[in-house]
Amino acid sequence: MRATLVVALVVAASSIATLAQAPAGVPRGADGKPDLAGVWQGSSVRPGKWEEANNGLGVGGTGKDPSAPPSLGSQQVITEPAPYQPWAAARVLESYNKRGIDDPAALCLPPGVPRLVLVSLFPIEIVQTPKRIVFMYEYMNVFRSIPIGEAHPPDIAPTYLGDSVARWEGDTLVVDVIGFNDKTWLTGTGTFHSEDLHLVERYTRVSKDRIDFEATITDPKVLTKPWTIRTTMMLREGTRVQEYVCAENNQDPAHLELLLKEGAGFRR
Amino acid sequence: MTNETRRAALAAALTVAVVMWATPARAHHSFGAEYDSNQPVTVTGVVTKIEWTNPHSFIYLDVADAAGQKVNWKLEGYPPNVLYRTGWKRDVTMKVGDTVTVFAWRARLGGPLAHSREVTFADGSKLFFGPPAGTGDGGAAPAVKVP
Repeated sequence: MRATLVVALVVAASSIATLAQAPAGVPRGADGKPDLAGVWQGSSVRPGKWEEANNGLGVGGTGKDPSAPPSLGSQQVITEPAPYQPWAAARVLESYNKRGIDDPAALCLPPGVPRLVLVSLFPIEIVQTPKRIVFMYEYMNVFRSIPIGEAHPPDIAPTYLGDSVARWEGDTLVVDVIGFNDKTWLTGTGTFHSEDLHLVERYTRVSKDRIDFEATITDPKVLTKPWTIRTTMMLREGTRVQEYVCAENNQDPAHLELLLKEGAGFRR
Repeated sequence: MTNETRRAALAAALTVAVVMWATPARAHHSFGAEYDSNQPVTVTGVVTKIEWTNPHSFIYLDVADAAGQKVNWKLEGYPPNVLYRTGWKRDVTMKVGDTVTVFAWRARLGGPLAHSREVTFADGSKLFFGPPAGTGDGGAAPAVKVP
């Protein structure tokens, strides 16, 4: 309990520090609100162009030790241990122990939210008008076109990325998402959810180069309490969002099926 | 240790713990499931085919085995959009007939199949063709506490 409290305090202190910053250099739209438009890289903390920011990470760069693991210093997602109910935690762990062989994205299905925001290998383009914000994700070439200042429709059928509506709270764009199916992962390996998932995302452009991102995940069917995840998105000037047609030559499911049949040792 | 020092130490430790739970969301699926980071391999041979395809690209390489027989290796890597950002130019950087050396990790299924990481060209220059070992396999710790 005390651990949770301290974690919460660390998170809260950091959020307050962010709010207190004078957001110098933040572009604003005609409505005076921060303009989030641009091409961004999720889970990154390094400013600069794509090539500079990813040098040595395996995304770009040459001449580094090829056997080195990815550098955690350049990218991070801050979270507490995911508060799954015991039965659900066992299911997450099983997926982890099988090294994510059941990843829905391996079938070229849309990754979930906020997972799409946390992906760092592929850029995200944001286009914004006073009435609408559009997120275009290179990974799987999916998009979210979100009205600002409207309510959820009454007749939502469950989908991979859910139904999103946005509103401004001061300089923070708050996106409320419901209407998910249960076929995606929230973040890392095995982080499943139910159709009762309710997500609240908060995007705060704190400088020209950086958006602070926070997602609060509520799902009483599988979680014991709301789960909060924070990360940053960094502006990548000069980067273009490209095509990604996942179904083109996806040979992995056949390999993974064979591995399951042959009982390959996935233990770490 | 005073209460205050103890509290500060606890807070510091917990801050580290929170960051340690950070999950690198590289999200390039399945490399860690399909390939074994305990089986690194370096192969040198002649490029016979390159598939610039999604979700992953492939290099095919004729490599002489110990008995001098040609074995065609299949090396998986990044999709074209990531290769482009990594510095690759399709049909320019590497062509069929080029001799290259590839550092990779072998498939758990065995055979001449591997997950490529770095390609070294004839002039000694290098480029990454695939992600680090273990990509997409859940990382060093699961999202939940292990009971």
